[in-house]
Amino acid sequence: MKEENKSASGKGVMGGIIFFAGFILALIIGWVVFPNLLYSQKPQPMNFNHVAHQDSSCEDCHAFRADGTYAGIPKVEKCKECHESPMGSTEDERKLVEEYIQKDTEIPWRIYSWQPDNVYFSHAPHKAKKVECKECHGIMGSEKTLPAYKDNRITGYSKETMKMIVCEECHAERGVNNECELCHK
Amino acid sequence: MKLGRRAFLQFAAGAVGGTLLSPIPWQLMDDSAIWSQNWWWRPSPERGEITQAATTCMFCDGGCGIQARLVNKSRAILLQGNPQNPINAGGICPLGAAGLQFFYAPYRVAQPMKQTKKRGDIGGLQYISWDEAFTMLSTKLAQLKSEGKARTVAGITGQRRSSMDDLWQQFFAGYGSPNFFRMPSQADSLELAAKVTLGQEVPFAFALESASYVLSFGANLIEGWGAPGRMQAAYGLWRRENGEKPATKVVQVDSRCSMSASKADQWVAVAPGTEAVLALAIAQILVKENLYDADFVKSHVSGFDDWNDAQGKSRVGFETHIMSPEYAPEEVAKRTGVEASKIRELAKEFAGSKNAVVVWGESSGNLPGNIYHDLCYVALNALKGNLKSGGTVTLAPTVPFEPLPGLQMDAAAKRNLEEQRLDLQQSPRARLNGNGLYAFLDAASKGTPYPVNVLMVHEANPAYSLPENKLFQTALEKVGFLVSFSSYMDETAQQADLIMPNQMALERYDDAIGVPGVPYAYYAVASPILKPMPGTKHTGDVILALGKSLAGKLAAALPWTDYQAYLKKRVEGLAASNKGAIADRAGMELWKLQPGDLVQTNYKDGADLWKKLTSGQCWYGAPVSAAQKIETTSGKLELALSSLSFEDLPDAGDKVYLPHFAQLSPSGDPKEYPLLLVSYRTMSLADEYLPNPPFMTKTVWDFVLKGKELFVELNPQTARSLGMGEGSRAMLKTPQGELPVRVHLFPGAHADAVYIVEGLGHTAYDQYIQDKGVNANSIVEVQLDPVTGLGTVWATRAQLRRA
Repeated sequence: MKEENKSASGKGVMGGIIFFAGFILALIIGWVVFPNLLYSQKPQPMNFNHVAHQDSSCEDCHAFRADGTYAGIPKVEKCKECHESPMGSTEDERKLVEEYIQKDTEIPWRIYSWQPDNVYFSHAPHKAKKVECKECHGIMGSEKTLPAYKDNRITGYSKETMKMIVCEECHAERGVNNECELCHK
Repeated sequence: MKLGRRAFLQFAAGAVGGTLLSPIPWQLMDDSAIWSQNWWWRPSPERGEITQAATTCMFCDGGCGIQARLVNKSRAILLQGNPQNPINAGGICPLGAAGLQFFYAPYRVAQPMKQTKKRGDIGGLQYISWDEAFTMLSTKLAQLKSEGKARTVAGITGQRRSSMDDLWQQFFAGYGSPNFFRMPSQADSLELAAKVTLGQEVPFAFALESASYVLSFGANLIEGWGAPGRMQAAYGLWRRENGEKPATKVVQVDSRCSMSASKADQWVAVAPGTEAVLALAIAQILVKENLYDADFVKSHVSGFDDWNDAQGKSRVGFETHIMSPEYAPEEVAKRTGVEASKIRELAKEFAGSKNAVVVWGESSGNLPGNIYHDLCYVALNALKGNLKSGGTVTLAPTVPFEPLPGLQMDAAAKRNLEEQRLDLQQSPRARLNGNGLYAFLDAASKGTPYPVNVLMVHEANPAYSLPENKLFQTALEKVGFLVSFSSYMDETAQQADLIMPNQMALERYDDAIGVPGVPYAYYAVASPILKPMPGTKHTGDVILALGKSLAGKLAAALPWTDYQAYLKKRVEGLAASNKGAIADRAGMELWKLQPGDLVQTNYKDGADLWKKLTSGQCWYGAPVSAAQKIETTSGKLELALSSLSFEDLPDAGDKVYLPHFAQLSPSGDPKEYPLLLVSYRTMSLADEYLPNPPFMTKTVWDFVLKGKELFVELNPQTARSLGMGEGSRAMLKTPQGELPVRVHLFPGAHADAVYIVEGLGHTAYDQYIQDKGVNANSIVEVQLDPVTGLGTVWATRAQLRRA
């Protein structure tokens, strides 16, 4: 009997170890492997160096239009104001001038915060309530290279696309309306 | 170590536990939900800067100002009325509101096409290059011209109020063919009525906004009559009361309780086609009881008293003629079904209202009317003194353009060319020459006195929208070569030998010269607000290029590099006249302008005027008083048609010279066809060049169209006598043909009539347009007015039997 008990307790320990191994492996897969599998890294068409543009303010390029809507990433027209011909000698600038400005085509930027069509989002009220850009978009002004764009293989949206829960939490914290129709019009 | 089943389960349990504490299940659940919202076919609206572009609506000739909402200045997402425009004051009709569907339509012709098989075989239509298409047409035209057969080239346009019409005329005159026609319009007979009474071949206009009493004889005022945008705005004004001005009283005389009738203050139900005799009864009361404007009649009207014709023969005047017992209220009551006391009441109301106006529109308001009936309504307005300066009836003013470069043709040559016109070669010859499209089609189908070798159709779809459309089809059998300039694969384009697709209305330069029924002068330019489809070309540019390729006189007559340059030149000419002004702010009540008012010019020069017009503003000028513009030989408004000769009708008496009730008798045996088929229009259905865009079809009642079946309106009593009920399936037969329909019981329908809506039953376009209902035009009968030769439609004999 004693033998058996001992054996049973040995088995129990062994079983625990096996259970734990499965548990740990799943956690590793879940937290480390899965996210890397879920997102594919896609390159931006060219690099943009925010640091090199420190002489202009954020609003020079990321402006609000006259009707209060937010213009987002500037159009090539804006780049053209300074870069009609190259100002420096970087490969990216050559690309900008030759492939986009001269051909008058827009740069197909991948937008990190692209919201789905069923979400109505307006920057204007957020700006009016003094929500800073960096609270949602991070500090971009000090980026020399653009961060990697992580594309969700299932949804096709960027990893940075803000989820509804984040919107709701912030609204709740600030006592702002959280009705469905506010964003899903 | 050997792993048994137990160990595997332990490992799996751990893995499940670990997985549950990892993001995998939650993330997958969320992502798959998002994935399921993003099927590839889900439309995704373009994002970007929203801008507005203002232009002029070209979906009909109503001249409304519209605004397009654009994303990134390239994708149009909404059309709405322009509040700055004085015609529609921000309003828009269903066709305009749904009009963007034409831009994105799958049935647009994306490139020129030629027929490679038998005509009408859609499979035989093949894409060709513009070079090939152009060479095909220009070679043909050059050859016919060199053979001396220029007159065998004919054209039909649906765009009568634009510079395109003038360009076509210039082209045809320069090329040497008189055979250029427009799609029928009420203006055709109005122009001729003005010509015989006032000596001016321009249509009448009506100061409806300032009227206090509107007596409408069958004019479908809010269902497309005149300019729909203007009529909506006018209706708004009528219903608005203010201190001095009570709401306008609207009386609708109609055999059917149309939308216009149901929204009027009073609906006077008459037997179909008897509106004009009611007008004459009212005229009799006015004259008999001395309720007419005797001063105006005395000073400005001839033919009221007995008169002498050119031979010196004494003829009866209107005053004597109108006293005929035929027009006595009791007699008219029998004909119309309106009680004599009611007629008297109407006459007194009309006579007693300060700004009363008579408007009319038989033939569902968009076709020429019976000229004698037009004259009855003109007479009634004249008796009321409405044509005097400041009155409610004026003449449509012309826009003071500079004349187009002259064609080197003397008057004799011009007349000779005119006389060769196919419609005028038809017999019996009309006494008043108008837009004789039907007579032309008749001649074309006979091929005599000469055939039609080339027919060019522009912004029109006669194979569908022409009443009694089989006449077009019959003519087509003898037409050598049909060229369609349609932007869409419509019924006429399907029959074409060559399609040279025009840019659609929002992609091209165009203009609106005057607005039907509007008293003040109006000019607006439509500038492209969208990039044209690459394979399309402005028909104006094609004509100009043809002019250059054919050289000779034509090149001199068409000197402009392209259509835009031509329009710009016209605008510069308008600016040079130094007349009129730009309506540069919202809320301008131009209807308050009176004839002779000075309009202060507010543009600098031609370039400035062009800039303003292409930004969506419009030009306007003062109205023209009818009484001050009389150019008849007597210098007066001629109630008797003294300029026409009826010597060939010796037995007709003096009546033929005067406005009288002259209903044309429809063909067919009344015993076989006991009902009268009357067609009507609604604002929910487009019935001319453009088909019904699907958005608009959504607004059609399900007792007008249900699934693919069209409902005709029948009085419940009539239906009962025919053994039919709501929704009964029936065959509607006329001498022209028969169609399957269903029956909708409608107490607002006259007991002798059956009513069919226009605008359904297309066979072309796409699955969302074709095979919905039946085409009224295929069974209605057109009757040529004996005086003008114009095709009129009032009713067709019909029978309805259970199917």
